[in-house]
Amino acid sequence: MSATIPRNFRLLEELEKGEKGLGAEACSYGLADGEDMMMSNWNGTILGPPTFVYLQPAHRVSVHENRIYSVNIHCGPDYPDNPPTIQFVSRVNIPCVDQQTGKVDPSKLPCLAQWKRSHTMETVLIELRRYMALPQHKKIAQPPEGSTF
Amino acid sequence: MALPKRIIKETERLMAEPVPGINAVPHEDNLRYFDVSIHGPAQSPYEGGIFRLELFLPDDYPMTPPKIRFLTKIYHPNIDRLGRICLDTTGPPALQIRTILLSIQALLGAPNPDDPLANDVAQRWKDDEPAAIQTAKEWTRTHAMT
Repeated sequence: MSATIPRNFRLLEELEKGEKGLGAEACSYGLADGEDMMMSNWNGTILGPPTFVYLQPAHRVSVHENRIYSVNIHCGPDYPDNPPTIQFVSRVNIPCVDQQTGKVDPSKLPCLAQWKRSHTMETVLIELRRYMALPQHKKIAQPPEGSTF
Repeated sequence: MALPKRIIKETERLMAEPVPGINAVPHEDNLRYFDVSIHGPAQSPYEGGIFRLELFLPDDYPMTPPKIRFLTKIYHPNIDRLGRICLDTTGPPALQIRTILLSIQALLGAPNPDDPLANDVAQRWKDDEPAAIQTAKEWTRTHAMT
């Protein structure tokens, strides 16, 4: 069994990975306050997935493509034993996001509901992007681009 | 999880023969994770301050060095805003908890603004050393004496 990396060193690793841009191209994240020694609050972005809905032959629409969604991520004192909390800043209409507050319901996103210590902020952002592109979600009408909660 | 003998021995020695001005205690639930405090050296801008740090021995320690950072805010040209430390890497790797803590204590006594760390503090240290030292003393009073 391997050593259990403590919260702060794990967050430093995630920070360095995020700064170097080693992660997935479609998502990014960074510290909200570069002087916060506890590294609790983070900003994330998700590039909307290119999901096409065929309305009629030769006419296709992507509800998310080219949109950039901003989220706030909070890593509590018990992270990564417990998942971070995620709140959308950009308006998005998907079932796991509360339409009043923008908060992500952890019971509706598998990587949060079945949280593992090995999951990272990047895991969550990538899964949110995949979630938007699911067949049952990609046809949902979206609020105007650039609107916020 | 079995803790390597090497780590047990180092921990026992730290407890039995502590380094003056340095205190390192492992967490009960993670014996690779230490709470550390270092007293600011005499005659340095950090004198009188007690600085808290955290130290973690990764899986492949001692093949890779301990991870360590300040938890107390400190104004120092080789330490960044998140408490990360730029230790001189020209010498042999400090592959013992004791030696790495000693080298950090020494770094407090001898700030090195020529070390290649992109840091506004290092620049200020070079431009106006007396003012930088004054700020370091103020930060010590504000953050390390409470």
